[in-house]
Amino acid sequence: MPHISYERREIAFKLVYYGPGMSGKTTNLAQIHKRLAAEVKTEMISLDTHEDRTLFFDFMPVELGSIDGYMIRFNMYTVPGQVYYEASRRLILDGADGVVFVADSQPGRLEENVLSYKRMEQNLRSYKHDPRNFPMVLQYNKRDCPSALPVGTLEREVSCHGVPVVEAVATEGRGVMETVRLLSRQIVERFHL
Amino acid sequence: MTNEATDVKLTVPLFDLVNDSGALTALLITKEGHAIAEAGDTSYLNTTAMAALIAGMFSATREVARMVGESQFSILLQQGSNRHIHISLVTDSVMMVVIFEDYQRIGRVRHEARKAGEKLMASLRTNESRVTAQVAGELCVPEFKEYALNLIDRIFTAK
Repeated sequence: MPHISYERREIAFKLVYYGPGMSGKTTNLAQIHKRLAAEVKTEMISLDTHEDRTLFFDFMPVELGSIDGYMIRFNMYTVPGQVYYEASRRLILDGADGVVFVADSQPGRLEENVLSYKRMEQNLRSYKHDPRNFPMVLQYNKRDCPSALPVGTLEREVSCHGVPVVEAVATEGRGVMETVRLLSRQIVERFHL
Repeated sequence: MTNEATDVKLTVPLFDLVNDSGALTALLITKEGHAIAEAGDTSYLNTTAMAALIAGMFSATREVARMVGESQFSILLQQGSNRHIHISLVTDSVMMVVIFEDYQRIGRVRHEARKAGEKLMASLRTNESRVTAQVAGELCVPEFKEYALNLIDRIFTAK
């Protein structure tokens, strides 16, 4: 359920980029930021370590425009991917209206993708969401790596079928806007009062 | 929209708090990171980003509290050189943030924040259903979706 503020004349949706460490979640946000028109974006905030690993989260609000006097805002977050930041990941999922799962297509990272996906499902359940009926896009990132995992591998491993899939090379911006567009559409389709 | 339609139940206690304590700004923020009301000067502040960061900070502090055997810390105080932030829990899911400059006034800020919090608590309990009803009176959902989907297709285009 989005956050609706009558006071601020605003309807705000929360989009979360989830996935294992170094799968490209922050890169997705940075590429969206780069590609958006100046009038809809503001500063992207990153809370990272000196090694550019996300420490707590990245945050980027996007103002889509005004409808009937209400500003439509998409607040985009990433979670930290490293295994030991589980508590942070769970906290950031609180109030999420939809999730992009950024999978790493490198063949050696299947296990981490699976573990991260299963944890995400657990975390969504902890907030009373049914992960099988929750706005979601599965992004296979790093499609330019040698012997990339075939699309369908992760879906089989975690039994998630019917989730929209996008192939991406986030460092080049490929698939990034399509991913956010698909998730945003799912979220808005479910909007009700 | 008319001024009369503004949700005074949330803003009036915040305005009183700013006036009576001499603070710069007061904000109400949900634990999910959304700002729901504000008072005072916000011209120097990105309130959207501020809400996301404060909510994250408070969530992290709650985990820290649990580690030391507390359910949560109800007040956080950040002391700077010129500006200071007082954050207090109003309900389980809403925080009040007060930004002020004169640290000598911390006692006053704390006192006024507590008073405002008491007034806000009841309003916040019914806030969600009240807001939904108010917005439902102004917004046609099918049309809203159609416009929003058009905006999405226009803004999130591959370049």
